[in-house]
Amino acid sequence: MQTNRSFAVQLQILTKRLVLRFMRRPLAELPNIFISAFFLFVYDGALGGVFGGSAQGTPLDFANGNFVNFILPVSIVSASLSGGASGIYLVEDIESGVFKRYQSMPISKWAIILSPMLIGALRVLVQAGLIMVIGKFIGADPAVGTVGFFVVLSIAFLWGMGFAGYSVAAGVRSGSSQGAQAASFLFFPALFLAPTFVPREALRGWLATASAYNPTTYVIEAMRAIMVEGWVMDVLLKGYIAAGMFAFVTLSFAVISVGKATEKA
Amino acid sequence: MLAVDVKNIKKTFTSKQDTVEAVKDVSFQVEQGEIFGLLGPNGAGKSTTILMLTTLLSITDGKASILGIDVETQDKEVREKIGVALQDTGIDKILTGRELFVTTCRLWGYSKADSEKRTEELLELVGLTEAGDRRVKTYSGGMKRRLDLGLSLVHSPEILFLDEPTTGLDPGSRRVLWEEIKRLRDSGVTIILTTQYLEEADELADRIAIIDEGLVVAEGTSDELKASIGGDVITLSFYSDEDLEKAKNILTDAVQSKDELRITVADGASKIPEYINKLISEGIEVSTVSASKPTLDDVFLEVTGNRLEGTEKPAEEEPTTTRKRRGR
Repeated sequence: MQTNRSFAVQLQILTKRLVLRFMRRPLAELPNIFISAFFLFVYDGALGGVFGGSAQGTPLDFANGNFVNFILPVSIVSASLSGGASGIYLVEDIESGVFKRYQSMPISKWAIILSPMLIGALRVLVQAGLIMVIGKFIGADPAVGTVGFFVVLSIAFLWGMGFAGYSVAAGVRSGSSQGAQAASFLFFPALFLAPTFVPREALRGWLATASAYNPTTYVIEAMRAIMVEGWVMDVLLKGYIAAGMFAFVTLSFAVISVGKATEKA
Repeated sequence: MLAVDVKNIKKTFTSKQDTVEAVKDVSFQVEQGEIFGLLGPNGAGKSTTILMLTTLLSITDGKASILGIDVETQDKEVREKIGVALQDTGIDKILTGRELFVTTCRLWGYSKADSEKRTEELLELVGLTEAGDRRVKTYSGGMKRRLDLGLSLVHSPEILFLDEPTTGLDPGSRRVLWEEIKRLRDSGVTIILTTQYLEEADELADRIAIIDEGLVVAEGTSDELKASIGGDVITLSFYSDEDLEKAKNILTDAVQSKDELRITVADGASKIPEYINKLISEGIEVSTVSASKPTLDDVFLEVTGNRLEGTEKPAEEEPTTTRKRRGR
């Protein structure tokens, strides 16, 4: 018997399998959603009074009177970390021997490898989407209108795919799903060595320098431009370039790592 | 045409630390429609041989073909002909048995409707119809093995590779799986299985290759292998290690196996008195003595000098056992 299946169909079938797994473990989604929502509520609660409506007309009014708009990108970047599940899914498949089962069939190795990455992308969309809904509920209102949510989501998607690639490479190189999970420590410096709470102009010394080299900075700034200012094209473009480059580099690294790890001994 | 033709294959793993020859020189041929058993202890090279034949490992040296298709250069074509259930192939435990069958059917090119039909057939075949909608994590070990077997049959392969299919199963589940394997053979599927269970090789395999330390050390039908020993096996055990040592020096044709001595002779039952008298005259007390037809374990001992680990007690001992009581 021949498979007679195109790469796209194989990818779709394998991704559907992981969607089923994803849906069977809804509780696995909760911690990251909780942390992202927690950031949103806590930062808004702690800083919204200073930088929100009461700051209007003062030098602290960088949020244009709506601090939820300003801080929402931080929570969305946090939610996009959920793309890191890709590495866990893939390494779980390798550890459990499921990967080997599919390798013994005449189907594309790359369909087996890409399907967990697509699931990572789906998780990013679901989690970032949920955070946006929560943000909207507590007052987020993009400066460019509702379409702004979709623009922010597209940047989050690219950024999440970057994390997906990173976690796949880390998982495969460490050889364990715990390795993929542990590699997410990078998230904290990435998120906090950036203009997380105030604009970059307000940062000083080493933090200002570090944030200039941190791609997260440009991702957050692009999302903020959409939420707070409007269509600031150069900032938006830098955000897409930073997220796109991150995704390209980490996904390439992932493909090379997985290719090496799964080639015939 | 031969189902499987293996000529002097070798597998060497090289790392920075050392080089390991997992398979040194393995050759065998398997006819279509037979069950061929690769019997050997852990680490003998059975699984590595299977991994090479199923295209999951490269072959360091030698040639192998499946239905005339070269394993090394035409791996995709080979995969279309074979079904594989390896020791360490995994099953997604979060999905149900039915979902796994449908996913596998779809990957093998069945339409949605045909996938569902084929799934029902295979669930029925491996006796999992009722458990089909349960998640695999709730399955017993035997059910998982049957599911694994069923998944390897989705595309009706001509050749099926089973790597230690019953390891870890209770005797009841093992027997159920044996019946399914025999039924597959009867339906025309060629089966290559590895096992470390003598009883399994004896029960299932039409022909057996004994593998030890990466080499085929004997090959034939179970009866041929047993006959190659050339007689019956007399087994003697003793009350003390001292007696065992003394007896070993007296019975020079005996081979020690753990705390027993085994002698291969023609017409074993009639020779027992002669051996007993010889030992008694030297003051050696025999604890038990028996004569039996040779088992595959005896063959293994004969060709490798070692017992096969995980061996179960031979089931075909003759009622010629005599017992000498201590102090008689």
